[in-house]
Amino acid sequence: MQKDFIRFAAFAAALGASATFGLTGAALADSIKIGINVPQTGFAAADGKSALIGAQLAAEQANANGGINGKTIELVIYDDQASPKSAVPIATKLIEQDEVKIAISGSYSGATRAAAGVFQGAGIPYISAFAVHPEITRSGDYVFRTSFVGEVQGRAGAKLIGESLGKTKVTLITLKNDFGKSLANGFKDAAEKFGIEVVSEYEYSIKDRQFGPIVAKVKSDAPEAIYASGYFFTAGPLVSQLRAGGIEVPVIGQEGYDSQKFIEIAGPASEGVIITTSLDRDSDSPEAKSFIAAFEEKAGYKADMVAASGHTAMKVAVAALRKAGGDDPKAIRDAIAGLSVEASTGTISFNGLGEVRKDVQVQVVKDGNWHRHSIISDPELLAPPEK
Amino acid sequence: MAYEITLLTAMGISVIFALSLNLITGFCGQISLGHAAFYGIGAYCAAMITKSGLPFPLALAAGTLLAGVIGTVVGIASLRVRHDFLAITTMGVGFLFLGIVRQQDFLGGEMGLSGIPGSGLSKAGFMLLVLVIAAAAAAFSLYLKRSWMGYVFDSIADDEDTARMLGIDVSRYKLSAFAMGTALAGLAGGLYAHNIRFIDPDSFGFVESITVLAMVVVGGIGSVWGVVLAAAVLSVLPLWLQFISDYKLLLYGALLFCVMRFSSNGLAGMVTALAKRAGGRP
Amino acid sequence: MLAFELLLQGLVQGSIYALIAVGLTLVYGLLRILHVAHAGLFTLGGYIGVLVTNATGSLALALLIAMPAMGLFGIAIYRTCYQPLLGRPPYVALIASIGLFIMMEELFRLIFGPYGLSYVAPPLQDPVGILGVNLKQAELAAMVGAVVLIGGLAFLAGRTRIGTASRATVTDPKMAEAFGVNIARIRDINFFVGSALAASAGVIVALLNNLVEPTMGSVPSYKALAIIVLGGLGDLRGTLIAALALGVIESFGTIYLGSFLDRDAIAFAFLIAVLMIRPQGLFGKA
Repeated sequence: MQKDFIRFAAFAAALGASATFGLTGAALADSIKIGINVPQTGFAAADGKSALIGAQLAAEQANANGGINGKTIELVIYDDQASPKSAVPIATKLIEQDEVKIAISGSYSGATRAAAGVFQGAGIPYISAFAVHPEITRSGDYVFRTSFVGEVQGRAGAKLIGESLGKTKVTLITLKNDFGKSLANGFKDAAEKFGIEVVSEYEYSIKDRQFGPIVAKVKSDAPEAIYASGYFFTAGPLVSQLRAGGIEVPVIGQEGYDSQKFIEIAGPASEGVIITTSLDRDSDSPEAKSFIAAFEEKAGYKADMVAASGHTAMKVAVAALRKAGGDDPKAIRDAIAGLSVEASTGTISFNGLGEVRKDVQVQVVKDGNWHRHSIISDPELLAPPEK
Repeated sequence: MAYEITLLTAMGISVIFALSLNLITGFCGQISLGHAAFYGIGAYCAAMITKSGLPFPLALAAGTLLAGVIGTVVGIASLRVRHDFLAITTMGVGFLFLGIVRQQDFLGGEMGLSGIPGSGLSKAGFMLLVLVIAAAAAAFSLYLKRSWMGYVFDSIADDEDTARMLGIDVSRYKLSAFAMGTALAGLAGGLYAHNIRFIDPDSFGFVESITVLAMVVVGGIGSVWGVVLAAAVLSVLPLWLQFISDYKLLLYGALLFCVMRFSSNGLAGMVTALAKRAGGRP
Repeated sequence: MLAFELLLQGLVQGSIYALIAVGLTLVYGLLRILHVAHAGLFTLGGYIGVLVTNATGSLALALLIAMPAMGLFGIAIYRTCYQPLLGRPPYVALIASIGLFIMMEELFRLIFGPYGLSYVAPPLQDPVGILGVNLKQAELAAMVGAVVLIGGLAFLAGRTRIGTASRATVTDPKMAEAFGVNIARIRDINFFVGSALAASAGVIVALLNNLVEPTMGSVPSYKALAIIVLGGLGDLRGTLIAALALGVIESFGTIYLGSFLDRDAIAFAFLIAVLMIRPQGLFGKA
């Protein structure tokens, strides 16, 4: 009797499993594909992971809310190792073999720039989540970006230092890559307007973690504030070494710092560091609040800018697909261009070039966490390039 | 089809690049850890020329020439150092190249060069061009290997001092290897720039130099067919391995290690060993 | 004043380079292998240091565990990976070593996560005044550690039977063997000592940056090669001086040449310049 019961249970389970499979199969047939290229291995894997989880979260949330007009979103994910060389075949594969009608880059500038040309050539909309290279959107009218170009954020940094903090003598510590260079350019452009004098500038490579010589020189320059570009893994050691070297002036960073890991690395030295970024931890917007909570639950660590950008890019893609109704790439492109979406990083809309228009969030480290410092809302200063 | 075309194009460019290093390292026995610099010189030179509106064939030729000229200069300097000192010197040349390019605003600096014009050919046409050049490079390599020059290279690779004692002008032959190898790398670079149409300094860094050396060594140093095969496979391996995304690089490392550990003559060595076993000879 | 501070910072960096490069030069001297995966042991040493310190609160214990553990790991790598390749051309071991290093970096990422690890309460962070210049205790520890460990090593190499045997093996392995030196044991010892020193460097660097990432070893993997070449390949004293010189040159270079060349390019420009004048390295025998 018992034996029979077990056999029956097994049979029922098998039946259930096949039924589930049947369902999945049916769901897949009625699904809509969104492509993602993202670094999952190699040096950029940490940011890739956050961006991907953010994007997956947005897709799951959309699927739970009825998908795209009844269809389920299916993500097609490829690892580009943040290299332009891999990005081109991956973009081609997404377009030709997976036949995606829209794709997202959760990758760095080089890979995104190279892939953007392929998507533009094929007339498939492509949204860059957080790559900063100014040329990305200049690939053409099918390419959009949900994060700030470096120059815009650099100008916001100048306003923050010159106007809000009232500091005039500033030292620049610039990361030598497209991100750091474009930030520095934006900062220097706007510096004069806010009465800032750049007393000195030092450059470092993304591989550097030891900043002793720069710290020594900055000390002798005695600036009133330091504008330092970098990512959490360079900025963490940099800030901690600046403080250990006895430099107490404000350090202003950008979205590259925006990770709980920065606070973990720099420890007490991180207190008071101010950054310009896209994610407001103390936001009243339900979008940002729910994202911050849902991300931590899914990922097991605190949300960061890259995660929010991945989430935002996916959200824009979903909104555009819903609005376009079908899977005509041209209609989807037009839908993106005309969107206004509430996302975790603010209200997103695009200008003629496909650059995002949104406010700059200023965050400060307080008691070991990111908190709101202020918001820069200056459409003229923050106007992204139009061509 | 477009995806297969993209893959074949990437493969072809890698084959040309790997064959170019094979001339220096495989035939002449001079280890280079900075070969990507010449790939980069060709890429930057060709891109600058087409960006200024001049025709694509001219760009390819100029990239080839410039890489070859700078390669010869580096070769002259490299004559002073040998063996592992040479390997590290060439690595230094690679880093120096990157350091200089990063600071040149006219080369786009850190931002790289975007908006490189296409070759003017269709995708399939460009692939055909790349494959024809790759085939020509392989044919040239095979011819060279059997020529007098090939034998001299062999003897230098084997034992430089003995070669010198036999009255061979070792320096001249080493320089020819450098000139040919770096020029061919420049050609591959010009093709790369017009395939990806975006280049930045990081695309020609130390990792790229190691990658191409790995292709030559895994293929079987000096073996033309082995190198062609290894370059073709290794260049698209990361794309084929997408389904194990998280373990892709791990597998790549393991592959390099295992080929060296268990068949140090590379794929070519494996084939020879298998053929011997099949033939029943020891 | 600034010059003195830059000099000190350069020496700190140079001391770390030295701790890593000495192991490499020991291996090279004996086996003529460019042991790139050495930098992987350096990174793993850093991971062990952070994990043990966070678990027990004792940095000393972390060093006591990391150094011998990496020493044994070094021997294991030699026996399984390099020993079978000894008769092969040098590039075989080089590529095998690079493959091994890539695998190690990826395993670190898979096991410890892509974000890296940090000390919860990093020890040795208080400033110490030296002639009016403030250094972190950890920076001082890097310098003192390098002097003590490498000095001790040089002393042992000069005064003990094993040291003599080791030097004899470097000079002429066949002759040494004929005189009854157990070459296999000498090689084990060299790998053990070199790897343990790299582990100590890993722990210290983790302390200076308060961060161990999977890719922490990628810069040392090639820069240490440059240092041992600069020092004359296989020469202990030359390696030490080359490491310190490179640290100081990078320190001044970052400030005064930073707008022309980056740190790596400065280091390699120096390397090439030296090799053009002295092709056998600073202290190599012609």
